Amino acid sequence: MNLTAMFENALDDLMKRIRGMLVVVNNEHQGAGAGVLAGDGLVLTNNHVAGDGHALEVTLDDGGPYKAKVIKRKVDADLALLQISDHGHAGAIFSTQEPRPGEMVFAYGHPWGQRNVLTGGVLSAVTTARTRRGELTILRSDVQLAPGNSGGPLLNAAGEVLGLNAMILGGDQSVAIPASVIREFLAEAHKNMPRSKAAEDVL
Amino acid sequence: MANVLVELSNAMVAATEKAGASTVLVNARRRMSASGVVYAADLVLTADHVVEQEEGITVTLSDGSMLGAKLAGRDPGSDLALLRLERPAGKPAEIAPEPKIGQLVLALGRPSTEGIEASLGVVSAVGGPVRTPRGMLDRYIRTDTTPYPGFSGGPLVDSEGRVAGLNTSGFGYGAALTIPAGLAWSVAAQLEKNGSVQRGYLGIRSQSVEISAAAQKALKREQAAGLVIIGVENESPAEAGGMMVGDILVGIEAHPIQDHDELFARLAGDAVGKSIAVEILRGGKQETLKVKVGVRP
Repeated sequence: MNLTAMFENALDDLMKRIRGMLVVVNNEHQGAGAGVLAGDGLVLTNNHVAGDGHALEVTLDDGGPYKAKVIKRKVDADLALLQISDHGHAGAIFSTQEPRPGEMVFAYGHPWGQRNVLTGGVLSAVTTARTRRGELTILRSDVQLAPGNSGGPLLNAAGEVLGLNAMILGGDQSVAIPASVIREFLAEAHKNMPRSKAAEDVL
Repeated sequence: MANVLVELSNAMVAATEKAGASTVLVNARRRMSASGVVYAADLVLTADHVVEQEEGITVTLSDGSMLGAKLAGRDPGSDLALLRLERPAGKPAEIAPEPKIGQLVLALGRPSTEGIEASLGVVSAVGGPVRTPRGMLDRYIRTDTTPYPGFSGGPLVDSEGRVAGLNTSGFGYGAALTIPAGLAWSVAAQLEKNGSVQRGYLGIRSQSVEISAAAQKALKREQAAGLVIIGVENESPAEAGGMMVGDILVGIEAHPIQDHDELFARLAGDAVGKSIAVEILRGGKQETLKVKVGVRP
């Protein structure tokens, strides 16, 4: 098999692996964005996609729409965590590797409302953005983002989530919130969460 | 091969790290830092337009150490400047052969102390010579990489982490161009020696014409085209050497000349000040004139 065919097959495999993790987040006022399944019916998205939290709906690749409510926000990192009633889907894998400039990355989302679009490029820089509450590490890539990519994943070549695309932070540059910040955010959320139904049954 | 995407991704990181070790931060203007490439342990090549001051220039190497630097030479025509570091501490870049159209390339820069930055693309075009706002660039590469702020002076890198050229947005046109490594390194060698680049000057205006079969017979070789002289500047080297309007320039120093590119190539480098043999066709007959090459103003 030649290299181009191997490349295409590898992209096919990547698409199959990541397909289920991406959702559509609909917000009554601001239209649609993207989100990533994080396990236990949790959906990670941008705070600006969640908006005021009214009439939020999440559509999975194979089901929905589900009503969703915001259970946690981190405004300076533009992160929001939503809860839906469907607990049956596995969460995405959030990379534990240090992001490396020059590595291949893919943005997965719904640019201009077109569903499940994959765009490629490289990780350009690991840099610092200044927010009202201090400094925030961000990832910059040369992947073209458009409205509808917000809240969708920036993936590495293995299909792990390297960051959450949040073009609002960088103006015209493609900016993503790194997996390290996301993992911290999820850990805090899990700490404050009531024990799940399953855990209560065992007790 | 486990996963071709992961392998390719790792190869691009390796290329970024290898060339990144020779990519430096150049602080030579007030607004925005720029990038540079280590040419020799104590010499850094950067874009001329990012050097706005001759005092207080600093260069930060890939290991984070900051050194003072002095301007060793500059050539606005090709937008290149050479800086001499206060001590030899840089890791010289490895240079690549001229890239081909469609080839995968990375543009690198070090606009801040936060680390190396990269963008991916392909070689879109290779061409030249092209007129620039302040002179002439003999050859250029155009790519679809993203020219981030501060990338001017940084390298265009091939898949093996070798430097294929220097990126600059200093020529305007709303786009970045890449100065091919072969040209950039030859300019750097002249800047190291003389502090500037002298380009040869004859003082003619010419255009490409076909050479008739009869005239080719007079030349005693097959040569389809030459340059017909349509103007000779007053008091120019061409006038002093006896060149006239209507002559067809067909060779310099026994090398055939068929178009302007070949003429520029023969007048570049060390031709200045030398008396060269200029072969012409005049009235269908071959003649050779001696012309002392001047310096292009």
